Amino acid sequence: MKSLRPPLAALTALALLPLAAGSQPPEPPEVAGRQPDITVIVDKSMRPRLRLAMPEMGGLRRLESTAARAAQELDETLREDLLASGVFDLQGPAELAVLAITGDRARDFEQYRSLGNELLLEAEITREGERLVLEGRIFELASGRSLLGKRYRGTFDVTRRIAHTFADEIVLFFTGRQGLALTQIAFQSDRGDRQNREIYIMDYDGWNQRPVTAHKTISMSPEWSPDGNSVAYVSYLTRAPGIHLVDLRSGKKRALVTDGTLNISPAFSPDGRRIAFARTVGDGNTEVFIAAADGSGVRRLTHSSGIDTNPAWSPTGRQIAFTSNRGGSPQIYLMGTEGTDLRRITFEGDYNDGAAWSPDGSRIAHATRRGSGFDIAVTDLVTLESKVLVSGPGSHESPSFSPDGRKIAFAWTRPGAGTQIYVASVEGGEVRQLTREGSNLAPAWSGYLK
Amino acid sequence: MNRKWMVTVWITALCLSLAMAGCPKKKPVPPPAPAPEPTPVAPPTEVKAPEPPPPVKEAPDPLDAELEELNRYLREQGLLGDVFFDFDKYDLKPEARERLSKNAQFMREHPQFLFTIEGHCDERGTNEYNIALGDRRANAAKGYLGSQGGVGDVGTRVQTVSYGEERPFCTTAHDESCWWQNRRAHFVVTGRR
Repeated sequence: MKSLRPPLAALTALALLPLAAGSQPPEPPEVAGRQPDITVIVDKSMRPRLRLAMPEMGGLRRLESTAARAAQELDETLREDLLASGVFDLQGPAELAVLAITGDRARDFEQYRSLGNELLLEAEITREGERLVLEGRIFELASGRSLLGKRYRGTFDVTRRIAHTFADEIVLFFTGRQGLALTQIAFQSDRGDRQNREIYIMDYDGWNQRPVTAHKTISMSPEWSPDGNSVAYVSYLTRAPGIHLVDLRSGKKRALVTDGTLNISPAFSPDGRRIAFARTVGDGNTEVFIAAADGSGVRRLTHSSGIDTNPAWSPTGRQIAFTSNRGGSPQIYLMGTEGTDLRRITFEGDYNDGAAWSPDGSRIAHATRRGSGFDIAVTDLVTLESKVLVSGPGSHESPSFSPDGRKIAFAWTRPGAGTQIYVASVEGGEVRQLTREGSNLAPAWSGYLK
Repeated sequence: MNRKWMVTVWITALCLSLAMAGCPKKKPVPPPAPAPEPTPVAPPTEVKAPEPPPPVKEAPDPLDAELEELNRYLREQGLLGDVFFDFDKYDLKPEARERLSKNAQFMREHPQFLFTIEGHCDERGTNEYNIALGDRRANAAKGYLGSQGGVGDVGTRVQTVSYGEERPFCTTAHDESCWWQNRRAHFVVTGRR
């Protein structure tokens, strides 16, 4: 039997070099998924996906009531995670129903292969008291080898987390990069009380949306601390907007930068020791400042009569991107952390704002206005070539990269739906809506969380 | 005899008339007349207080109203109004200057009021930019008031705050029909002194 290992190794390499061309042109991916009126420009070099057969988990039908529901959720969550990873093409029970599975492993593997599958995920789920135990194994169908085996145990209320943990392990094995299933997204929402906005956090797939502030005023612009333990945000707790911090474990909140008339737009340095922000000097002149992470030692970095705001620290910690209208329209600029080596990096469109660094530091995603509404574009920092990634009716703003750089969360405002948070794959193909209740914006994707 | 009596009467009359003009002091002071018997008085007529006028609902000065009502009144009467801006702009258009001049007049005539100018933006662009933009708009309006003279120390009478895109006035549509209303410097009386 010919081994599949060499092609898999090649695919792993491809995964590490997402822009390298695949050996054969991939199928044109489905554009827009569930939203037919949004366009995601597809990167032609998108890598082919691994074809994975995932029959129903064994033991699922033996469980009853709460355990059965929890197991069902685990099964569904794992499928969604693997699909959302963009690494796999999945065949589930429906597609596999045409097969007459015999229990003879060699013959069954051949059957899975006959439908084009390369891999099989076999899982068994059992109950131990008030806990579920998941045992999962991935086989390479051509060789019959087991590539990965994992066992997890947890109470019924952590089934999604069990699925996320296993999915991340699988993605790590095949791509060399940790999956996103355990990451989270912070955002602001006006749900419940349209006059106010609170900071919320949700799982990467839109589940478990929960508030982390209850100030009953405007709270906005969430920004994760690099260690993932806290979120900085802007709040009108006093008359003027100031920067505050919430510790996600204790729920405790404290003021970070509130001197002067206006402090907004916090951005942590990658080592978490400094914070960049925008502050008003004089009569309404907003400039970019930095300070230590506790708000002390404030230093001004920009000096222009125009608006300077929205700083974003580069992954290396050596540069800060920000928005300035010093040239007549809002555009994105880069500078060193001393305010030197200033240069403009966006030139297409009359309005570019909301810089978000790709985790590898090579690109910046931002909102761009090239027609009537805003689109999401990605600008390469070497060539300054700027490509529109997401466009369509309405406005697309506030991009934020996933920590693996493969997805972008953004806010989309369109008639009838208010503003909602979506996730698009940077390689194109899939757009997923994460929020529905109230208006939700300013998504900030966490780093990898412990 | 008759004649003598007549003379006496004449002298007495003369003397009386002189007494009114200042009689010779040597004249003995007549004993005080006995207190007159009190004349019986008719029983007192009941005097009633005048009928109170029908309660005239006298309108209190609207300028004394609670702040919320006061602001509504000032807007309705056109005494205090907002100014509007173009997309991504904070320069004052001619009609904005006109409006600000009227606001300045009200401020001159009513030095007891303290004001806040709120800067607002439409929903396009990020909050981080729009908060900054709204601050510019509020400060542009404040700066113009300061240039008008007579409104007192604008620095202490007028505060600014920017809400960016977070307190829109119109939310029914995601197009210019709403957006133009949301790009403004909004004037509010926020206190008295």
